[in-house]
Amino acid sequence: MVWLIFLFQGFYALVPNTPLAGEMDSNKHSHNHISSIKVLGDTLRLEEVEVFSPPLDKYTHGQQIKTIDQENLRDFQGLGLSEVLQQRTALFLRQYGPGMLASLTMRGTSAGHNAVFWNGLPINSPSLGQTDFSILPVGAFDEVSLHFGSGGALYGTDAIGGAVHLNSKLKFGKGHSFQTDSNLGSFGRWNQQLQYGFSDEKISLRTRIYRNIAENDFPFRNLARPGTPVERQEHAAIQQEGFSQDLAFQIKPNQLISSSVWYNQTEREIQPVMGSNTLDVQQDKNLRWVLDYFNFSGKITWNFKTGLVKEQLTFNASENSTSQFFLIGDLDWEFSPCISSKSGVRFTHIQGDLSTYTTEENRIELYQSTNLKLRDDLNVSINLRQFVYDGILAPFTPSVGADWIIFSKSGDELKFHVNGARSFKLPTLNDRFWVPGGNPDLLPESSWSGELGLSYLLKWSNLRINHQLTHYRMWVDNWIIWLPQGNFWSPENIREVHNKGLEYAFDADYLLGSWAFEVQGNYNWVRATNQTNISENDRSAGKQLPYTPIHNFQSLFGVSRGMIKSYVNYHFTGSRFVATDNVAQLPAYMLWDWGLRTGELQLGALQGRIGFQVSNVFNTSYQVMRLRAMPGRNYQFNIQIRL
Amino acid sequence: MDDAPQIPLGEFEKGVLIMNEGAFGANDGEVYHYDPASGEIKADIFEKKNGRPFAGLIQDMVASEGRLYLVANTGKVEIVDPRDFASIGAVSSGLDISRSLVTANQKVYISDWGPYDANFASPESYIAVVGQLDGGTITDKIPVSSRPEGMYVVGNQLLVACTAAQKMDVISLNTEERSKSLDVKGGPIRFFEAGGNLYLFSRDASKVYFHEINRSNAEIIGTKTVNLAMSTFNFTLTENAEMLIITSTGWPEFNDAIASVNINSGEVLSASIFTGSGLYGIGYDADRREIYVADNNGFQGNGTVIVLDQSGQQQKTLAVGRGPSGFMFK
Repeated sequence: MVWLIFLFQGFYALVPNTPLAGEMDSNKHSHNHISSIKVLGDTLRLEEVEVFSPPLDKYTHGQQIKTIDQENLRDFQGLGLSEVLQQRTALFLRQYGPGMLASLTMRGTSAGHNAVFWNGLPINSPSLGQTDFSILPVGAFDEVSLHFGSGGALYGTDAIGGAVHLNSKLKFGKGHSFQTDSNLGSFGRWNQQLQYGFSDEKISLRTRIYRNIAENDFPFRNLARPGTPVERQEHAAIQQEGFSQDLAFQIKPNQLISSSVWYNQTEREIQPVMGSNTLDVQQDKNLRWVLDYFNFSGKITWNFKTGLVKEQLTFNASENSTSQFFLIGDLDWEFSPCISSKSGVRFTHIQGDLSTYTTEENRIELYQSTNLKLRDDLNVSINLRQFVYDGILAPFTPSVGADWIIFSKSGDELKFHVNGARSFKLPTLNDRFWVPGGNPDLLPESSWSGELGLSYLLKWSNLRINHQLTHYRMWVDNWIIWLPQGNFWSPENIREVHNKGLEYAFDADYLLGSWAFEVQGNYNWVRATNQTNISENDRSAGKQLPYTPIHNFQSLFGVSRGMIKSYVNYHFTGSRFVATDNVAQLPAYMLWDWGLRTGELQLGALQGRIGFQVSNVFNTSYQVMRLRAMPGRNYQFNIQIRL
Repeated sequence: MDDAPQIPLGEFEKGVLIMNEGAFGANDGEVYHYDPASGEIKADIFEKKNGRPFAGLIQDMVASEGRLYLVANTGKVEIVDPRDFASIGAVSSGLDISRSLVTANQKVYISDWGPYDANFASPESYIAVVGQLDGGTITDKIPVSSRPEGMYVVGNQLLVACTAAQKMDVISLNTEERSKSLDVKGGPIRFFEAGGNLYLFSRDASKVYFHEINRSNAEIIGTKTVNLAMSTFNFTLTENAEMLIITSTGWPEFNDAIASVNINSGEVLSASIFTGSGLYGIGYDADRREIYVADNNGFQGNGTVIVLDQSGQQQKTLAVGRGPSGFMFK
C-alpha cells in the first residue's frame, strides 16, 4: 500500500485564471515553444472561467507541443481526428480509405509508437498497441495537443515517436447553454451533435450526444478491372453514435472534482482493397471514464485520478475485448521559484478477452519530474520513469531537456531547445499471447533519442512571425515485426531502426486595416532507416521504412474581414515505399482545400456560425495506401447554433 | 522455299514466368519474367503491359487453350495472352477465394473456397463455371467439399482435390453436378502425372500420400505412403521419378528444407538437399536441370528466387516480387 502515499497524475497542474488559482501557486513557466493554431474570430466572454487547463507542457522543456483548438476543430465536426491531423499538420497517417483504419506515424516510427491520452488516461488498445484515429470523432473532445518526440519518461509505454492528448475543456459561470452542430457533406455524410450545458461558479455540467453517418459511395477509378472503369465505392459505409458527460464540481475553495464519461460506437463496412470482394464489417465500442480529485494546499497540488477504458472490437464474428482500470496519483510541489517537482505512480490492471486467448496483467509505474530554473533564460526539465509489468522491468526511461532564451527584446525572442530521452513500447497483448504465434518472450521495444532546435518569434507592428526548426535523431531497437513461421505468423524482436529528421513550423499573422491575414506551414523531413536484414536474402537493411514519406508539407493561408473568413489549405505527401526493400512506391500527391466560415452570427436569442469547405478542390486521384481508393472533390457544410 | 509467315516469338513465350503471390491485404501480386539465357529479369509484366496493377494475390497460374489464366485468391481471374501478357479478359465478379482453374469443353472451371464462416471454415466451397474461355460472368456454382484446390479433367469428369474435407470430389461435366465424393488420407492439394499414371498429392503432419487414380472410373486404386514429416503442399517433379517437397519444422526452429522422394517407391531419398527459411515455392527447369526455390523473405519486402543445381547446390539468386510462390518454365 506504499504506493497509495504517492498517488499522483503525470502531467497535470493547474494554470492561472482558474477559480482556484488564487489559492495556489501558479505553475508559471515558459510557453514559448508551444504553437497554437490561431483562433479566427473567437468571442471571449469574460465572465466565463475555464475549469481546468492542465498544462501538458509543464515538464517538457526542450520539446514541442502543438495544440489544435476548438475553433479549428469545428471545420471537421463529426469527422475522424485523422482528417484533422492530415489537413492541419504535416503528420502522416496510414489511412486505408476515408473513415477506415488510420494509424499515426510520428518521426518515422510505426503505428503503435505514439501514446494517445484522453483526459490523461492512456487509450491505446493494449491488445493492438495503437489507436484508430478514424474513430475518434471531432466534437467529442475540445482540444487536441500533439507532443512531438520521445515521451516515455512523461507518458509511459508507446510514446516513442510522440503523444497525442485529447482533452475536455469545461467552464464555470456560463449558465445554461444549448448547442447543435451539423455537418452535411458529399457521399452521404451527415454528422449531428447536440449539447446541453449548465455551469455556475461551483459546478459545471455538459452532456453531448452525437451521430455521424457516411455512405462513402464516392466515385473512384477501379484499377483492378480491365479498362479501369470509374465506379462507385461499395461497402464502405460508416455509422457512429456516442455520448459524453462532463462534470466539474468545486467542493471547497481548495478542492475540486472533475469527471468525464465518453461512450463511442462505430460500425463500419470495411472498404475492400481494389481487386478484392471482401465484405468485412467491424464494430468498435469504446467506453471511457475518468475521475479526478484535486487538492491545492499552498505550494502543493495533489491529484488523485481513477478511470476505466473498455473497448470491444468485433471484426465479422470475431469478438475482442479489453478493459483497463487505472489508479493514478501525483504530488506537484513548488519547492522554490526555481524548482518544481512532481512525483507519482500509475497502477493499471488490464483484462483481455480476445478471440483466441484471455489474459490479465498488472502494471505499475513510478515517475518523477523536476523543473529547474537555472537562470531567467534557462529552464531544464528532468523526467524519470520506471515501468513494471507483471513483475518484469521495462527499460528505465530518463529524459533531460532544456530551453534557453538566447535573445529576448520587445516581444522578439530567439530560443534554443535541446532534449535527450529514452522511451519504450511494451509488446502488445496480441504480440505475446495471440494463438497461434504469440511470443511471450518478447522484449519491450526501446529507443534513445535526441533533438535540438531553434525558435524565433518576431513581433513588429501588425506583424507576428514565428519559426521553429527542430532536428532529431532516434535509435529504436528490438522493433517487433510479425514474420511467417511455418503455418502461422509470429512476432520477433528483430529490427533496429535509425531515424533522423527535420521539423519546420512557420506561422504568421498580419493585420492590414480591416483585413487580417494568417499563414502557417509545417514541413517534415523524415529518414527512418531499417538496419536489419531478417535473412540472408532480405534486401531491407539501409532502406526507408515502408509507408513513411520522406517529405510531408502542409500549409494554410487564411484571410478574414469582418464576419467572413476564408482559407486555402495545401497538403503535400511525398512518395512512399510500399515494402521494406524500397522497390515499389506510391507517387506523391498534393491536395488543396478551400473553406469559408463566418464569425459569430446573431439572430434574436440565437447565435451561431456557418462554414463551408471544399476538400480536394482539384479532384486529385490519389492513394494514401496502395490500392485503397480515396475520394475526389467533396463538399461539407457545417452550421452551429447556440442558445 | 518456305512461304509460311515468320511469326516472331512473343516476349514471354520462352523463359521462366515467376508467380509472385503478393502480401495479404496489399493485393500486390505480380508476375516476373526471367530469361535464363541472358539473365535478364523483367518485373511486373502484367502492369507494364496493361497499364494497371494486377491488384490481387496470385494463387495459381494456368496455361490452357492458348491463354494464360492468373487466378487470384482475392476473388478474380485475369486472362492474358501468354505471348505478351496483354489482357484478354477477366472473371471479376462473383468469386470469393479462388484457388485454381481448368478448362474443358470451352468452359472455365474455377475452384473457390467460398466465403469464410464465423470460424474461418469454408462450408460453402464451390466450383465456379464460366461459359467462355475469355472470362465473363459466372453461369453456375457447383457445391463441393470444403476447400477445393487443384483439379484435373479425365474424360468428361472433373476431379477436385478438397483439402479441408480430405475428399476427392468428382463432378460430371455433362450435368455439372457432383457425382461422388471419395475419402482420401491426408489433405489433398494437387494432381500430378508420373510414369503415365495419375496421382493425387496429399499430406498430413507426419506423412505424404500419393493416391493413384484410375482415369476411366475416377476411383482411387492405390496409395503410396511416404514417411516424410512436416511436409508442405509445395512440391515439384524432376527426373527419374523424383519429387522435391518443401518441409518446414515449424515452432520453434522454423527451419525449412527440400526433401527428395522417389515417387515409385515412396522412399525418402534425402530429407534435406537444401535448407533455408521462408521457402514458399519450388519448380524444376527440365531443360537446364535446375531447381528454382522461392524465398518469401518474410513478406516484409520482395522475395528471392534461389536457383540450385540438381544436387541442391546454390547457383545464383534472383531478386523477384513479393511472395514468390510458383514457376512456369517454357
